[in-house]
Amino acid sequence: MTHADSLAGRRILIVEDDYLIMSDLALELESQGAVVLEPCPSVRQALATITAESRIDAAVLDVNLAGEQVFPVAAALLERAIPFLFTTGYDAEALPADYAKLPRCRKPVDAATLLKTLSAMVGPRPA
Amino acid sequence: MQALALEAVLDFAIISLNPDATVTNWNAGAERLLGYGRKEMLNRSADVIFTPEDRAAGVPERERALALSQARAEDERWHMRKDGSRFWGSGLMMRLPPGTGFLKIMRDQTERHLAQKRIEVSEACFRTLATNIPQVVFASRVDGVRSWAGPQWIIFTGCSERDSLAYGWLDAIDPEDREATRLAWVRAREVGEYYIEHRVWKQATSQYRWHQTRATPLDPADPDQSEWVGTSTDIHELRTLQENQQILLAELQHRTRNLLAMVQSIARRGARDTDSFSEFLDDFEGRMRALSRVQSLLPISDAGAVPIDKLVRQELAAHVSGAEEPGRLTVTGIEAGISAASAQILALALHELVTNAVKYGALRQERGHLHIAWTVTPRPDRSGSMLSLTWRETGVPMPQATPRRRGYGTELLTRALPYQLGANTQLEFTANGVSCSIDLPIANSRSQAT
Repeated sequence: MTHADSLAGRRILIVEDDYLIMSDLALELESQGAVVLEPCPSVRQALATITAESRIDAAVLDVNLAGEQVFPVAAALLERAIPFLFTTGYDAEALPADYAKLPRCRKPVDAATLLKTLSAMVGPRPA
Repeated sequence: MQALALEAVLDFAIISLNPDATVTNWNAGAERLLGYGRKEMLNRSADVIFTPEDRAAGVPERERALALSQARAEDERWHMRKDGSRFWGSGLMMRLPPGTGFLKIMRDQTERHLAQKRIEVSEACFRTLATNIPQVVFASRVDGVRSWAGPQWIIFTGCSERDSLAYGWLDAIDPEDREATRLAWVRAREVGEYYIEHRVWKQATSQYRWHQTRATPLDPADPDQSEWVGTSTDIHELRTLQENQQILLAELQHRTRNLLAMVQSIARRGARDTDSFSEFLDDFEGRMRALSRVQSLLPISDAGAVPIDKLVRQELAAHVSGAEEPGRLTVTGIEAGISAASAQILALALHELVTNAVKYGALRQERGHLHIAWTVTPRPDRSGSMLSLTWRETGVPMPQATPRRRGYGTELLTRALPYQLGANTQLEFTANGVSCSIDLPIANSRSQAT
């Protein structure tokens, strides 16, 4: 099974303050057939998007958003049982214990690894 | 029994004297202690057993006068043997019936006297140390019940000695650290040493300051019964430095990883946008150079700012040789700082503008002119300032040289800056040349506010 199988048509939220990294990731996901929702550079915008969107299949969260930590977004996603992974420039110990065991991709992110992790999260495409 | 009694008697010098201090009796103990034989001392003055200094000072006479008037006189002082060696004699002179003289009994107490002196010196030394070192010194029981608080503690915390005894001293510990401070005494009993880092109230500055507190039992063999003596050392500066270092390290790590991620995305983007490798490499290297130029302007800490003036001029200088010429290139603007996070993406955007101007625009064409200017105005909501930068190329006939690929620069200006920095940008390709304006929100000059 390729990533495209499970990511095609999936609605993915990207929370990342760096435009270059965000746009690269968005292109990568789109090339797999995923639907990239309006990307969010801040916690405030991400929370608004989560509230407004009727369906989000998975999310990619940058831990540090211009000095602001992404954890309120992580909490909102957990509450809605939406799977997500962190991308981080920090070592593991910088994450609170609650999140330390969640999937994480260290920056600079290896696109193949990230796609594989995301695919595993959303599971096979529904028939 | 007899031998013991004799031995006991031998421990004492027993001497009887005439009223004029000449010896009438001199026992075996006196012979042993003082080194003079009985025969040689009989009818001779007993004053030879005093030290020359005491003799010169009239001590023997005073002792006899005291014994006469008070019936007895204590004799506690250094004495001298026949061979000139000295010992600490501890004894008593008693008056015999009137007119018959004195009886003197004395024993050698040199060892005890020296031991006593050593203890006194040691105690004085401890007290001097305990009251003069900059650390707080205290004495405690194994359960943390304090039995003595040094003057530094009283001065530092403002707690009186009385209020500090027993568990009163805990009141001067930051409430957040009290439980750990108490538990450390439980652990101390097990490991034989007390150790904790906690915050202690400093009265002079009304703040809790980090201290390292240690204590050990005076008798390590019996820590439960022994008194414990401990010190608290102010390590606030050290801890603050360590914390700052941790923050700097984390920032450095974060910055490095983000930079690599930026490089990666620039490379991948370039690979998507270009057809040939040489074209890709040309663009990529230019962008890498711009990115490395801006690194040199980044402050050590993310809390610092990058001067916009330097950012603009450095990027221009990399592409335009020679000084600014009024007819060709002008740069005007006041000093202002932008955040480290803003600087990199702005530098990349400026790089695309400059590159375009050099390849096709004002910096290539004979009659071209580039004017860069910026102003800083407070934002209405007082949440910071607005940096308004304008880039105006004139004298560039358009559209004769429409850039082959203006996609990346345009995207940086019109999408990346608004997305990442909340900027408002306008980019126009007028008949006269490229015109661009960037309104970038910036924080007010960073204060110490947290």
